[in-house]
Amino acid sequence: MSVHAPILAIGVALLGGFAAPLWAKLHKTLRDLWVLLVVGFVGVCVGYVAVHVFTTGIWVYVLGGRSPQETVASGGFPIRIMLTVDAMSAFMGVIAALLAVVAFPFALKYIAEEEGKTLSLTLGLLLLAGILGMAYTGDLFNFFVFLEVTSIAACALIGFRTWTSRAPEAAFKTMLLYSVSGLLFLLAVAFLYGEYGALNLAYISAQLSGTAVDRLSLALFLGALLMKAAAAPVHFWAPDAYGQAPAAKTLLLVVNTQVSLYGLWRVLFTLYGGILDAPVGWLVVSLGLLTMGVAAFMALVQTDLGRLVAYGAVSQIGYMLLGVGVGLVALSGRPDYGLVAMKGGIFHMLNDALTVGLLFLCVGAVEWAKGTRDLRELGGLGHGLPEVALCFLVASLALAGIPPLNGFASKILIYEGSFRLSPILTALAVLASILLLAVFARAFQGAFLGPRVEVKATVPWVFLVSMGVLVVGILVLGLVPGFFVEGLVTPAAEALWRGRALYLAAVLGG
Amino acid sequence: MKETLKILTGQGYWSPLIWMAAALGTLLLAAFLWSRGHRQHKRGTEQELPFLSGERAEKAQVGALHLYWGLTEALGPFLERLGNWHSGVVTDYAGWFVVLLGVVVLLLLV
Repeated sequence: MSVHAPILAIGVALLGGFAAPLWAKLHKTLRDLWVLLVVGFVGVCVGYVAVHVFTTGIWVYVLGGRSPQETVASGGFPIRIMLTVDAMSAFMGVIAALLAVVAFPFALKYIAEEEGKTLSLTLGLLLLAGILGMAYTGDLFNFFVFLEVTSIAACALIGFRTWTSRAPEAAFKTMLLYSVSGLLFLLAVAFLYGEYGALNLAYISAQLSGTAVDRLSLALFLGALLMKAAAAPVHFWAPDAYGQAPAAKTLLLVVNTQVSLYGLWRVLFTLYGGILDAPVGWLVVSLGLLTMGVAAFMALVQTDLGRLVAYGAVSQIGYMLLGVGVGLVALSGRPDYGLVAMKGGIFHMLNDALTVGLLFLCVGAVEWAKGTRDLRELGGLGHGLPEVALCFLVASLALAGIPPLNGFASKILIYEGSFRLSPILTALAVLASILLLAVFARAFQGAFLGPRVEVKATVPWVFLVSMGVLVVGILVLGLVPGFFVEGLVTPAAEALWRGRALYLAAVLGG
Repeated sequence: MKETLKILTGQGYWSPLIWMAAALGTLLLAAFLWSRGHRQHKRGTEQELPFLSGERAEKAQVGALHLYWGLTEALGPFLERLGNWHSGVVTDYAGWFVVLLGVVVLLLLV
């Protein structure tokens, strides 16, 4: 079994999702147990793949060959479907599995049967399968296929509450923009296939020579993936989508955004790493600054707690773009500060998943207990929901980058790395963080402080356990950051920074 | 110090434990200074009542939307323009996608 762990992680999530309605026909409890079993199994597979990759190096898994290690067919040409898991892919898989393990138990309690619980669980597992597929695949066309799997599942989850007016509208907008970005991605793949007759990422990367077609394809890849990653000025769909999906499933939508960023890193560093110019890095840096600034200001004027957190989540995408963008600018000379900033950007993906995930669970708990997310109607919930208030406070401080929490650990790497490129970048990033602190202080004050109010329902223990797991994660990542930076983040950053040759050699040999 | 407890930032390092020790020291100093002050606060008296705009109001809370009123007023035109940018109209959003794509194509091909 262990030999097939990468494909099992994707396949079990995919088939497990489709099997969930069948179990539901027998008994709802059996369906719930099945979903937990599937998520647990996927988590174990992802964990096994991560340990293997971090200890022994890149794991290439070939489908359709005589053995999973037969990467190149006769003639020295990689024609089969291939999973290529390096440290960055494994890191992305760990983020996805971690949030899935937290989100699904929460969802089992949060989503009512009459709301279509079975469907939501199936869609959630399909989304997880698509995310893992995007993280693990080494084939551009398969990346597109998994991109579409995530798009379809994500849009269905966003529009899940069909009985409200806003959810289908948000789903429609997201679907339209996802469709355009998916088509552009496919067009880019078609251009490269027409030029090089291949779909394998490593093979095409070795062949790229910087022709006009190569550059046009890169532009299409960038447009498509920046859209799915919710970078400004194409971030508009994200606050609507995050705000309308069931809170438990919003965690997976956050990972869906992050895996698009992962795709962007993969295209820029691995596929185009040999011919990339500094202006592309400056573009990513500029979009990062724009994203964090626009989202932080928009969060300031939100009256819906869910949308406020959603804009906070979008602003964090800006920090990731800034960190890795600085690395891209510095890629040709490879000075140390480029790697430091990249470590910060990549570490922030993990930290953001935990903090934003926790904030969305808190929003879900508030809605569960009070029946509304409108800050004009909320207040005083800290008396009735002290645990939720504490979780929201921890997550808010972490998101704003207050020491000693995890958000600060990744942001200081971004700040110091970007400072060496230009102090203005750091100044703007720090200003955005200060603004976010103000925004979340306002949200905390508005929802949890003030005179005691009655709550409609108490928060179930499953919610508290799910939130508690994320709080522990935030504290551990904040208090012993070196352990995770050295063990997980540095290998992932190095896989992009210097790992292109190893990636190509693992697939093509030599 | 073990590498697990700190991270190297290129120009120095970040250690949460040292920060917490410093924070604890600051808190202790603050507590010491506070203990030396006058004890004017009396529990259960009028001092504990909320005071809003000169009126004694029970069960009153400054609403979330009233925080940073001055800031949002001062930034009013900018925030209004930013809000209009987020029009909710999907064709506007697609338009911005075209703009971004145009910028990227120009950057890479010209």
